[in-house]
Amino acid sequence: MRIGIVCPYSWDIPGGVSAHVADLAEALIRMGHYVSVLAPAEFDELLPDYVVSTGKPRAVKYNGSVARLSFGPIAARKISKWVEEGEFDVLHVHEPLAPSLSVLACWAAKGPIVATWHSSMDKSRMMLTLSKLAQTAMEKVSARIAVSEAARTTLIKHVDGDAVVIPNGVDVRAFCNAKPMFGWPGANLSIVFLGRGDEPRKGLSVLVDAYPEIRRNHPNVRLLIAGPGEPANTLKSLSREDRASVTLLGMIAPQDKASVLASGTIYVAPNTGGESFGIVLLEAMATGTPVIASNLEAFSRVLDHGRAGLTFENENSTDLAKVVSDLLADPIQRAELSVQGKSRVAEFDWSVVATRIVDVYESIRVSGVKVEPDLTGQMIGRLGRGRITPESRSD
Amino acid sequence: MSSQSIIVIVAIAFAIWYLSYQAGRLDRLHHRIEVTELALHGQLLRRGGIAAELAAVPGIDPALCVLWGQAAHEALILQEVSSPQRTQVEDELTNILVMTLNDPEEVNEIRCNQHASLLLDELLQVSERIKMSQQFHTDAVRDCLEIREQFLVRFFRLAGRANPPVPVDLDVQIPSALFG
Repeated sequence: MRIGIVCPYSWDIPGGVSAHVADLAEALIRMGHYVSVLAPAEFDELLPDYVVSTGKPRAVKYNGSVARLSFGPIAARKISKWVEEGEFDVLHVHEPLAPSLSVLACWAAKGPIVATWHSSMDKSRMMLTLSKLAQTAMEKVSARIAVSEAARTTLIKHVDGDAVVIPNGVDVRAFCNAKPMFGWPGANLSIVFLGRGDEPRKGLSVLVDAYPEIRRNHPNVRLLIAGPGEPANTLKSLSREDRASVTLLGMIAPQDKASVLASGTIYVAPNTGGESFGIVLLEAMATGTPVIASNLEAFSRVLDHGRAGLTFENENSTDLAKVVSDLLADPIQRAELSVQGKSRVAEFDWSVVATRIVDVYESIRVSGVKVEPDLTGQMIGRLGRGRITPESRSD
Repeated sequence: MSSQSIIVIVAIAFAIWYLSYQAGRLDRLHHRIEVTELALHGQLLRRGGIAAELAAVPGIDPALCVLWGQAAHEALILQEVSSPQRTQVEDELTNILVMTLNDPEEVNEIRCNQHASLLLDELLQVSERIKMSQQFHTDAVRDCLEIREQFLVRFFRLAGRANPPVPVDLDVQIPSALFG
């Protein structure tokens, strides 16, 4: 199948949506499909073969942060050309309401179009972006995918119609053979925390409050904290001895994530809320490190309700200390959780997720019908168009 | 030219643009409906083929063989893409598949045959695609009807001679024992 994918955010800066698009494109290519990705990017020479750049993105304040987007007549022309030359069977746009390439692509093309919604939005923003014109662009989308139940709920509430939920994938191969960092966990026990140290909803303080109790039960335990943000304030409550067993890594490069996760005897995700999925839990499970997480709805779902990882009562340090101490004392249960975790994460491997996305493509495409440039809704364009007939199907 | 006539000309130009814009929208929606309907039809055909092939697997018990073979045949020989008969024969096939493939033990027994097991995997895949296809087609029909019901669209007959689209009311149940 020939697939065109549109990524609205800059390819140069790693982010949720562009990482998703890159993983999806590579998984589809491994399955034998032809893939071309259209994305804004500044440095052409660093791009993988399958990416076509629309040029340097512009930094715009959008969605509460500065986003690097691409728009304007030149971008629009590039899209038309890309659609015309691509002869795609399916066009897949991501985050279709972002004021960037995706919404332009919906304008410039017609035929089998799939759109994936990544974030959930509140009503007022949704109403604003769903202006009449954006709505017309949305009308061309044949199939909608939401990456989480939260994103789907927003969609159903504010736009007519439903969406198929297909979660994010994990590149299991990148994590399953990860080696721990030198000297970790060694003969000692270790706990890994990953995330912004100064963002309350990541829950570092819940873990820090539980830590003295954990160390009373297991004096040889160490705590490894990785992620941007300054956690010094949170760590102030620790005694000097406890503090001495904490290692701060600061921000880590994406390629080091796997070995950090593998360095833990256990991985703890004490997030207090606002999580719609929990990809890092899956990444930890892929390295074979047992996971303990707060009992948020999304986390419990990922952990298969206790079968693939343990949960503790959200924001309850006492409960966290107990669950962690018990698991540190029980190597047999750790080994079991490690095996269960690895088999659970296989369900979220990109190869599986990409197969489900291909099912969506197949459910809207007809062989012989290609994505083509849309010469706007002119009356003249309507003349001389016959009915479409399916050509000989080949699967 | 007086300012009044300019206003009139601008108003007429706007009205023409607006009508052609709405007509273009409708045209695209009709196109989307046609493509999603054909895609659904393609997946239904594929399911018929899989069911027929299942019926022909050596060693399948003769009763199943007749049930599957008969229902698949009815679905495959029908010409119409969408019609009440199409819905009827597809629903019958769905019904028979659901009835015969709802017991995990029995399905495991059928899966002992490697070829049959592969076909059951394909049957699950195609059933899921049919379910999605039907949803996407219904979405398209609803979007289209919303515009067709607007007063100006009806008054100027912007939809032309195209018949109002109808959602395909299929039973899209998936046999429970096919999962896992």
